[in-house]
Amino acid sequence: MMSTVLEKQATKDNIILGLKKAMAEYEIAALTKKEGKILFDYIDDVNKIELQYTPTVLSPKKFFFPQEEVILEYTMEGKVQAKIDYRKMVLFGVRPCDITGIQILDEAFAESNGDPNYLTKRENSVIIGIDCNSVCDENAFCYKVNSQYPDGGFDIMLHDLGNSYAMTIATEKGELFAEQYFDSGRVDSEAMEEFIRTKERSFEEAGGPFEELENLPEIFAENEHHPIWDSEAERCLSCGSCIMVCPTCYCFDVIDELALSMKIGDRLRRWDACMLRSFAEVAGGENFREEVKNRVKHRINRKFNFLMRKHGKSVCVGCGRCVRSCLADISPVTIVEALTETSRQVRLVEKNNELYLPTKAYIREIVQFTEKEKFFELEMENGKSLNHQPGQFVLLSIFGIGEAAISISSPPSFGNRFDIVVRAVGDVTNKLHTLDVGDFVFIRGPFGHGFDKNIQREMEGKHVLFIAGGIGYVPLRSLINFTLKQKEHYAKISILYGCKSPEDRMYKDELDYISTIGGNVELLETVDSADKSWLKNTGVITSLIPMVKFHPENTIAVVCGPPVMYKFVIKALNDQGLSNENIYVSLERRMKCGVGKCGHCQLDDIYVCQDGPVFRFSDIEEKEEAL
Amino acid sequence: MSKPKVAFFDFTSCEGCQLSILNLETELLELLDIIDIVEFREAMSEKSDTYDIAVIEGSYSRDSDLKRLRKIRETAGVVVAMGACAHIGGLNALRNSQQREDLLKKVYPDHPEWYETNEKALPISAAIKVDAVVPGCPVDVKEFVHIVKNLVLGKDPGLPTYPVCVECKLNENICVYELGKTCLGPVVRAGCNAVCTSNGGVCIGCRGLIPNPNLNSQKDIMQKYGLDMQRIIDSVNLFMTENAREVQ
Repeated sequence: MMSTVLEKQATKDNIILGLKKAMAEYEIAALTKKEGKILFDYIDDVNKIELQYTPTVLSPKKFFFPQEEVILEYTMEGKVQAKIDYRKMVLFGVRPCDITGIQILDEAFAESNGDPNYLTKRENSVIIGIDCNSVCDENAFCYKVNSQYPDGGFDIMLHDLGNSYAMTIATEKGELFAEQYFDSGRVDSEAMEEFIRTKERSFEEAGGPFEELENLPEIFAENEHHPIWDSEAERCLSCGSCIMVCPTCYCFDVIDELALSMKIGDRLRRWDACMLRSFAEVAGGENFREEVKNRVKHRINRKFNFLMRKHGKSVCVGCGRCVRSCLADISPVTIVEALTETSRQVRLVEKNNELYLPTKAYIREIVQFTEKEKFFELEMENGKSLNHQPGQFVLLSIFGIGEAAISISSPPSFGNRFDIVVRAVGDVTNKLHTLDVGDFVFIRGPFGHGFDKNIQREMEGKHVLFIAGGIGYVPLRSLINFTLKQKEHYAKISILYGCKSPEDRMYKDELDYISTIGGNVELLETVDSADKSWLKNTGVITSLIPMVKFHPENTIAVVCGPPVMYKFVIKALNDQGLSNENIYVSLERRMKCGVGKCGHCQLDDIYVCQDGPVFRFSDIEEKEEAL
Repeated sequence: MSKPKVAFFDFTSCEGCQLSILNLETELLELLDIIDIVEFREAMSEKSDTYDIAVIEGSYSRDSDLKRLRKIRETAGVVVAMGACAHIGGLNALRNSQQREDLLKKVYPDHPEWYETNEKALPISAAIKVDAVVPGCPVDVKEFVHIVKNLVLGKDPGLPTYPVCVECKLNENICVYELGKTCLGPVVRAGCNAVCTSNGGVCIGCRGLIPNPNLNSQKDIMQKYGLDMQRIIDSVNLFMTENAREVQ
């Protein structure tokens, strides 16, 4: 549209005179006073044109998309005729924000199905804009969405240079009109440059565009559940004013109106508004957008997300009409800025690399549990509690060696100390075994989805069956201790623990203590092989399962152990009638980042580090790689 | 098709709505092409024992009303509540927050016992089922014609569920709040083409509340614009006595 930009200049008197001449051929609509209102309307005298701009209640879109228009005329005998009411007109004095609005409507009504009523009216109009070089009032925010510089939607734009107007002529239509009606000459380029400088300066001083204008569709998509939607909706009256006054809203209702004769009728289209309760109500009475919050969201998302993606620019033009008309003080600016701020904070965390920044922790106690397994008590240097759930893990690092995922074995506590039990099997864990009390390591986390409050609640009143193999006791230990502490909340607690030999038992004292609790707590142990001093069961862990009496419908099993163990244990549980919905597993995976990025622990569409390591088995049983 | 018979009835009211219908003049003649008016005390002396559509003005405020209303309901296929009194109790309902005996003595000091009246003035829907409503004080005659036309066509008579603000904006009015006044437009049912606010007035709520009005926010706004709680309640009380409590 801007390919034929021409610049000319004419005196203000000359422009008005030109409009007067044009009245022979065109109807002129301009800013004028009528019954105490300032509005855009058809005029019969060019002296009635108001040049001092005051924001109007409705935008001039109404000349192309009127509040109500007849689109069909019909008779009850079945004759029908499309109706397009248009005038050859000049729309004079439209401001940049509204011109940008018209440009958006031009696209919206032309795309896919060209709307004959709108487009015919537009084809028969000449739009002459008057440029702004300052912000019109405290509610306008054109500069936040860059609508003060329209790149289409007008034929001629006038720039006020004092006694005359410089003209930017953007279309052939505009060129012909200017040639015929405006006695124009060359532009005073110095004055024009001064105009441009003043304009730039005043809009910059007003504050410039939204911080992340181009990213608003993504920011809106990310913040669907932002609390600002609730707080704004609470005040919203659903009065529809914001929509009525918007220069880029174009939803409409279609209504049949029969004349009183009952013989002929019109089909009308009338402005409708997605903020009104009945907008998404279907004939059966069901309403797809019943909540005010969803309507507020929809309206604002259309401007900065849904339609912004389509038009490639903000569909809110910042004219400020909705802000002026909202008695409840709801403003797109407040919402955009709140969402942008939230997204900025989220991004800052990433930009600061805090995600990968570990915290120093000192080794306060070491106990050699078995030949290969050691217990460590760690103390966070920052004095903060890990604040973990049972079943979560940390990433422990030793600089120069690397990072490894380690389960937390102590129950949740408010202190800044926590316990881990580590088998020396890799670089990091081998190195850790060489460290002494007082040495330090680094910690990130806690990470993952552990045995959260929901799972804890689910277990209440039931028979809880812990099945731990080898070092698998460690990730479960936190939960085991938690349940033992309030054992009366459960029907029964059975702990089945198996390891290679009596020497490989971990937390020996703790196990011995558990075996003495009695009541509804039982501990069954097995080892793969042992000498005669071992008085308990010998055999693989599945051999313990038939020894436990449980009612499958009232039992929850929690399983953790070496990868090879799961298949056999789950089969044995299923054989006893326990369904996979009642089995929780804690999975082991290779993990490098702990925050759902590096991809190592990915199991189809889930990240074990974030969505797990604790899963309800029925949620993952279909996944081939799960076990 | 044969023209439906329409009868007009009045209960506690000023009968101004019926007067508005008579003022229709040319449209009234056209209306008579699609309906037969068989009873209309304000316009004719004839009466009829049968009618298809009963248009009722006035509120239900006496025990004796009940019998008459039930008779109308039994006779008519369609009952239309016309005007604020029949629709929401109207100005009559202003008395509902006061004691009947005190009021009788105040209004008829010589012989309060001569006058029959209930504790409350109620919409006629409190007595009988109502099929359609023409709101307003008085009714908007264009809307009346529109609703009668829809009833004859067998269409849902339909009322806007949106507030007066919509029509006020369509008329390009400057919001009365900006002019230093307060208005119930944001919570009151449209359909009047914002006649009051478009002619220098404010909306006083004669058409009743929209479904799901945000009264909390309306109250906050009126307070922000300088009204104290008592004045807010008074303004709602005028036509919507039964809702005034909800504002507190």
